[in-house]
This record gives sequence, structure tokens and C-alpha cells, in this order.
Amino acid sequence: MSESELEPTIEETPPPKADSPRQRFWKRMVRNPLALFSMVWFVILIVSWVWPELLATHDPFKQDVTLQRLFEGPSGDHWLGTDGLGRDHYSRVVFGAGFAFRSIFIAMTIAIGIGVPIGLFSGWRGGRIDRAIMWVNDVLFSLPIILLAMAVIIILTPSLTNAMIGVGIAMATRFVRLTRGVTLAEKEELYVDAARITGISVPRILARYIAPNLLPSLIVQAAIISGAIILIGATLSFLGIGASLDDPDWGVMLNRARPDFRREGIWQIMPSGGALVLTVLAFNLLGDAIRDAIGRDASSNALTITKRVSVAAASTSHAEGDDLVISVRDMDVEFPSAKGPVSEILNGVSFEVRAGETLGVVGESGSGKSMTMLSALGLTPAPGRMTRGSVNFLGEDVTNLTEKAWQSIRGKEVGVIFQEPIAVLNPAMKVGAQIMEPLRIHMGMSKAEARTRAVELLTEVRVPDPARRLDQYPHEFSGGMAQRVGIAMALACEPKLLIADEPSTALDVTVQGQILDLLAEIQTRRNMAIILITHDLGVIAEAADRVLVMYGGQVMETGSVEDVFFRPKHPYTKALLDTMPQNHSGDGELAVIAGIVPQPTAWPTGCRFAPRCVHATDSCTSTMPPLLTVNTDVVRCLRHGEEGFDLAQPASGTEVLS
Amino acid sequence: MTDTPTTNTPMLRSQDIDGALLEVDDLHVHFASRGKLFGTTPPPVKAVNGVSFSIAPEKTFGLVGESGSGKSTVARAILQLVDIQSGTIRLAGDDVTKVPPRDELDFRKNVQAVLQDPFSSLNQVHQTRTIVGDGITRHYGTKAGAARDERVGLLLDAVGLSCEFLDRYPYEMSGGQRQRISIARALAVEPRLIIADEATSALDVSIQSQVINVLRRIQDDSGVSFLFIAHDLEVVKHVSHDLGVMYLGYLVEKGDANAIYDAPTHPYTEMLIASIPMPDPVVQAARRELRQTFEDDAEPPSPANLPPGCPFENRCPVAMDICREVMPEPTPAHHGGDVRCHLHTSGPELAGESVVEFIKTKAQSKLSGSQRSNDKSSAQ
Repeated sequence: MSESELEPTIEETPPPKADSPRQRFWKRMVRNPLALFSMVWFVILIVSWVWPELLATHDPFKQDVTLQRLFEGPSGDHWLGTDGLGRDHYSRVVFGAGFAFRSIFIAMTIAIGIGVPIGLFSGWRGGRIDRAIMWVNDVLFSLPIILLAMAVIIILTPSLTNAMIGVGIAMATRFVRLTRGVTLAEKEELYVDAARITGISVPRILARYIAPNLLPSLIVQAAIISGAIILIGATLSFLGIGASLDDPDWGVMLNRARPDFRREGIWQIMPSGGALVLTVLAFNLLGDAIRDAIGRDASSNALTITKRVSVAAASTSHAEGDDLVISVRDMDVEFPSAKGPVSEILNGVSFEVRAGETLGVVGESGSGKSMTMLSALGLTPAPGRMTRGSVNFLGEDVTNLTEKAWQSIRGKEVGVIFQEPIAVLNPAMKVGAQIMEPLRIHMGMSKAEARTRAVELLTEVRVPDPARRLDQYPHEFSGGMAQRVGIAMALACEPKLLIADEPSTALDVTVQGQILDLLAEIQTRRNMAIILITHDLGVIAEAADRVLVMYGGQVMETGSVEDVFFRPKHPYTKALLDTMPQNHSGDGELAVIAGIVPQPTAWPTGCRFAPRCVHATDSCTSTMPPLLTVNTDVVRCLRHGEEGFDLAQPASGTEVLS
Repeated sequence: MTDTPTTNTPMLRSQDIDGALLEVDDLHVHFASRGKLFGTTPPPVKAVNGVSFSIAPEKTFGLVGESGSGKSTVARAILQLVDIQSGTIRLAGDDVTKVPPRDELDFRKNVQAVLQDPFSSLNQVHQTRTIVGDGITRHYGTKAGAARDERVGLLLDAVGLSCEFLDRYPYEMSGGQRQRISIARALAVEPRLIIADEATSALDVSIQSQVINVLRRIQDDSGVSFLFIAHDLEVVKHVSHDLGVMYLGYLVEKGDANAIYDAPTHPYTEMLIASIPMPDPVVQAARRELRQTFEDDAEPPSPANLPPGCPFENRCPVAMDICREVMPEPTPAHHGGDVRCHLHTSGPELAGESVVEFIKTKAQSKLSGSQRSNDKSSAQ
């Protein structure tokens, strides 16, 4: 392969643009019936506010004191009846919307206008100034809102506007807290450092970089607080210190209905009370709906397992042998996608692992390595599901096992080690308790037995001074020591299969070696099968016996570690080897794999690697290559076996060790 | 600064600088530990201890070390993001140890950075045109619009992305694409120095190579200098002309990158090299053997409580008594730089030559020694 063939495509073009966040937001809002209800209600209220004459049927102030016109029930003329002065309830409710919105407008302008700048300043400055501001804020926060409103009324004059100034000041404390919290978190983000390095001034960083990130939570908070403001306004009017007693304000209307309520029945409080309840409810529903619709991804990250359905059988049979630990044949896994058709995450994946053997699984991020292992163990994350294939574990067909049956197998026979050892440990629990818990649950040990066993396990993974370490918390462990604890926990129930998903990627390189040595040592002692998932071919070269190369949710090739490194069968394997800086000699450009890993929603036609493959021909981009069997291994490449098509690496040992 | 630059006279007076573009001399950075309400304040964390190095124009200096080695703190000190304890930093001869606010814009124009995390280093609420364009507006006054977009388009072209990326948000791009946007952002103000702090660490190897090629092409085209910081010595060696190795805040070895890689003079450098897994099962088997001569389970000391001697002493296979008591001073080494290790001045007195053979011989004699004692015990 010449250098020029490895040139990247000079310009990368992005995938077609997805919905903008705004489009997605409105789609989600319209699909949510409660959000739709509140939005329709607000349209009605806003029309009532801006142009009440359009909706009102009567003059809200016009009294009609003819006796039969007082306390009237609903009728064709007065849709919601009349009050004690013969005024039309419906028209008064319509005009009341204006009072409600004016209250919100005044209070919210003050609350956000004061609260957000103070919060931004306080959060950005931090330290003593921040503590002083938050102390004052907390004092104000703890005062009842109505008390603050009354204080303002006493200082100024009683009016709804003055009351709302007081409410606004009280509500500002809520926005100070919210804004400060977001600012404290955001200022630690690297993009803020990047802006400072660019030379952007602090006020501009606050206004253009941090404030937009504040907006989602601000809108949600504002919607919920608006509901509260209406209630407080109505309460003040009801008490006679808000709107004047003739105004068609909802609180005033409730106040006026109060003395007549017992005599004239419950109807008198219904129009204004109903409008109040519906409006407050609508604000809260809107707040919830906005919060749900803003989320960048609606699906949760929690690992929920799909309900099992019967799986179509595999077309090929399993490998045989007493030492076979796990064998997977022709596994397909599908995920329903938001845009309609299901997307196939895994296609025709087959592999097996024998006792005492390490299978290295390698491929770029997004190639399906981790998904393969989860699915093989019945852990396909929802809403994905296995649709074809079969899995044999320790000689038994476990393809259609129930989740419950799987749990007992996994707990005892399979151990898993993860990339981030610290993240797996509960920070609030002593390490010893976390090791002992599965021993007591799965193995039924007593506390003393479990402790003895925990010390043995930590000794096995060479944690110095194990008895003392058991009583420490996870934060007292370095990354390497925490990974040893992770390994000890995975080994606790004597598993036959250990799955190590990037076990050394997050660790320092000198610690990585220690962990790989430890795994090798334990494997020899226990004759355990290990599946080692990693993107680092160096780790594969050190630790694997056999290798599974994955790309685009498919197996590209399998082989012994020598085969894969010295005689790769697939151009993808060859390309991965070429990109390693260790394999680069001279000063020229590093070899790259042009382009990016395709998304499962848009697999290319033909060979999935063809768009990035320097050896691709026309038939590669139109025909999906079958999985060819070569001796005991497989390869998925149309050009395999073609005369002169040779991907062999230069012979080993050309590099003299330092 | 003696002569105060105005907006018309940039801080860098000439394009041709005699000597180094960046000089860091005896840099110390300490972080105060937070005191408890009662009781004494714990000692400060000594993140950077007496680090000195320089970067020539159009060259790349690589800084390598493991987590906690202080390499990112060096970068943050140069970028004025942390306060330093003592030492000086000079840019093209001008003291920039602490840039006064009125000169900050000028300084920022000359020194830019590409940060580690391709996810959090871009603001999620901005499109590429704003992320890259903001710096152009700030430093050149070009307002947002067609003219600025055209300039951003050229920068995208330089990092191998099409103009269609102009209206993309960060979450619509892959890690490699985001990191190239970060590079375009740094290039936008046409700096003299770009600090790349773990700029490729979060990427797949195939994508990492793309980004490294972009960085090297940019250096060839614009003559920018790089401070390239990473934990992967293999990558650092590939992009760097000169190399510095940090361990617990000390620069333990620095010099020509290839010469250090081929014949390191500090045992820690050798340990780092031996720890890089080679993508070749036969070569790797030999490397593994070498790696295992180092003390396996010893943990590095805490940077809040550094020993008086060499901090690597407890992991070093060839440590001597003096190593426990005295921190070695820099000694000239064969690769043109210097090394902080007692082996070169006392004991075997390697005088700046490679330490590899010495470690191997030592390890072998230790191994055969323990075998002899095993034979003895089994004979009894």
C-alpha cells in the first residue's frame, strides 16, 4: 500500500442535519396532551388580556340591580351567571386575565431582572463575596412571600402593582439560587476556559456563554413561579390589599362571592375560582412539559433489559468441546428507532471462548464491541432486542432463558470489570462492605466468613495491607487500586467467564501493565475464560490468545493473535494496525482511516467498511460480503482470497528493543 | 513589561525572534489545601516544582507524564488560568508571568489552546460559526456575518472539514470533528503558540492520527509553535521535536524527543516506554519482561506530602541510599537536554548516558540472586 492511498479525504462533510433543538422541542410539546391543554388555555388567556372586548359579552363593570338579575345561574345571556350586583361573571373572568398577567409581568420582571444578574455575579466570583450574597439571599428566601409584599404595601400605598413589587423581590431570591448554582457548575466547564483563552471578556462570557445554558432551567422555574404569583396576587386581592374592590380581578371576585356563598350556593365562587385553578394548573403542567421537552435525549441511560421474545434460531451450529465456556452463533440485535424502521445494531455475530483462553475484542468506538457482550449475556439494553441467533453457555442453550434464570447464572458464573473502577464503587460505603455483600447474598456466607474471604480476594489481587483497606472508602483508593478492588469483586463468586470492558483504558500506562499482569496471573491460576474488550491493539497483542475484530456491528475477522497481527485477513484490521503510531516509522504523516464510523441508522450498502477502505472496488459498495470460513477462523471481505491481495505485515522483530 | 504595547504595536514586535518563543524558568505552582474549621491547615499540594524549558519558533515541545504529574498545571499557568508560586514565563522575550488586564487581549492573540475534552470544551448552545468566529470578532473586529463566515470556512478547510459544518452544533458532531473545531478556534486568532492539552487523548487511534496530521500540517503552513501535552509517550514522541518528562511536579528529563525515546537517561522515562504496549505480540512479550523489572505494586507518594529525596525512589529498580534523602539537580545528558537522577553523578556515574543497559544488568543480577536463594531453600 503506498502512502498516497492512505491520504484522508481532504474535506469531511457532516451527516444530513437532524431536527434543530427548536423543532424537536415543539414536536415534543405538541405530542404531549397536557402541554397542548395548557398551551390552548394560555392562548385563550392571552387573547383575554390583549383584547378582552373580543371575548367578553358584557361590560364587566355594568351593574344590573333588578332583583331577578342578581345571583343568576348560567343562562343564554349570562353564560356563567351574574354576581350580587348583577354583573356578568363570564365577562369579569375574561377581564380578570389581564390582572393576572399584569401581576406576573411586574413580579417576573423584577424577579428575573434582579435575581439573574446577582446569581451570575455571585456564582462567577465565588469565595467570600459569594458566601455573603448567599447569606443575605437565604435570609430573604426564608421570609414568607406575603410578608414581603405587605412590607412594600405599607411603605408605598396599597395597590396590586406595589404588592407585586414585593412579590418580585421575594421571587428574585429563587432566581439568585438557581442562577448561581448553574453558574458555579458551568464555570468549571472547559468551554469557559476556552472562551477566556480566546480573550472573551467576563461580562460577555456570562451573557453569551453561560446565560444560554441557564435558559432551560430558567424557563421551567419561571413557569412554575408564575403559577405561584397568580395565587399570591389572588390571595392579596381576596384579603382586600391587592386590586381595588370593583376591579374584575379573580381574587376580588372570590372576596365578593364569599359573604353570599352560603346563601346563594357554591356557584358564585365557581367562575373565578375555576379560572384561578385552571391557570395555576396550566402553568405547572407547562413547566413540567417544557422540562421534559428540553431534554436532549428522552431515553434514560439506566440499563433496562428488554422483555424476552423468542429468537429465530441460528443457521450454523455451535462449536464443540468440553472446555467451551460461551459460544454465540449468528446473533442479530435490533433497536427500534425514532424515525420508524428498526436499526440493526449487531448483524450475524459469532464467536466462542474456551476455558483458560483470552478473546480480545477490538474495533473503534461505535463498532458494537460492548453491545455484543451485553447481548450475549441476555443484557441487551431496552428497547433493543436479539432477533436471531443462539447462545450456548457452559454447554447449555441459554438463548431463550428468562431474566430470572439468567440472573442466577450471571451472578455466579460471569464476572465483569468496567472501565471506570471508581464509578462502579459506591462512594458512601466502605470497600469491604461492597466486596462482602455479594458473598453474603450469592454464597450465603456469614459476616465473619465473608470478611475472611474478602481479605483473601484482596490478597489475590495484590492490594497491600488488605485487612486495613477493607475499612476504607473508595476515595482513599487510587485508580489502579480501585481497579484491583473491581477485579476482586468480579472474582468473588469464582466465575468461569470474566468480561473485561476496557479494564485499563482509564488508568495510567504504568498501572495498565500491572492490571494486565494481574489478569494473566489469575487466569493461569483459575483456568478462567476472559473476554477483553479494548480499542488498544497493544493491549490485545500483550494479553489476547485469539482476536475478534468488529466494525459496524459485524465481525470483520477472527484469528489467533499472531494471525491478526502478522497476517491480517481484513483491510479494516490492516488499517487499524497502520494507524498505531508505534507502527509508524519516519517523519511523514501518520496513517489514518478516513471518514468516521457509520451510525446504525445509516449503514452503507454493501460492505460496511467499504466507504473508508482503500481496497474497495465497485462490488464492495454494492454487495454485502458473506462471512467466509478460513480454517477455524472467519473473515468478511469480498476480496479475500483474490490473487495478489495480500495484507501481511512486515515480519515481526524488525524493531530492535531499546 | 517595560515598554507598554498599544493597540497598534503588537506585543511581538518582530516576526523573527532571536532564541526561544516561550521560556519557562524555575516554575513553581502550589495549590493551598482547604483548612478545616478547627486544627491546622494541611500543607499545600506542590503541583509544579521548578520546571524549566523553552520552545523554539516553529517547533513542538512535548510534555509527557501520568495523571497528577502536573503537566496540565504547567499549561494552565502559561495560559494565566492559575496563579503561580514563583518562576518566570517569557514569550518572545517579554515577561508574561502575570499579564496585566490591559495587555491580556494582546497575550491571548499570541497564545491559544486546544483542550482535552472534545465534549465540554465546546459550548453546546453555539453553532460552529460562533464558536470559531467569536475570537475573530474579538481580535479583528469582524462582526458576525458573511465575511466572518467566509473566514471561518477557510479555517474549517484547514482542519479538513467542509463549510457545511458552519451551522452545526457540537452535539451533532463526532469527537474527532469537535476536536478539529477546537483547533480551528485556536487558529482563528493566528497565534504564535498553541498549547494542546491532551488534545487527542479522548479519540480513537484512527481519529487521533487524523487530528495529529492536521496539527503537523498547520505547523508546516503557519509556523506556529506547539506545547503538546499528553500521557501517551508514543504520540508525544511522534509530534514533538523536544520532549520533557514530568513525574510528580518535577521535570525529570528533557531533551531531543527521538534521542530520549531511543536511550532514556531517567529510570522513570524507561518505565514509561516499557509500559507502552506494542501492537506486535512478539515485541510486546519482550517489552513486558522489561516492564516487570520495575517495582510493581508501589504507589507514588502524594503531591501534598512529597519525600525529601527523589519522588520516584520507591518505584525505581536501581534506587540508591542518596535517592531517599536528596532530590537530584538537573545534569546534562547525551540527548542535549538534562536529567534529574543521581545515577549520573554518584553510584555508577553514568554521566548522562542511557540508563537502559544498567537497569537490565541490575535486574538480571537481582533475578539470578533470588534464583540462587530459591535453589538453596529447595535443596534444604
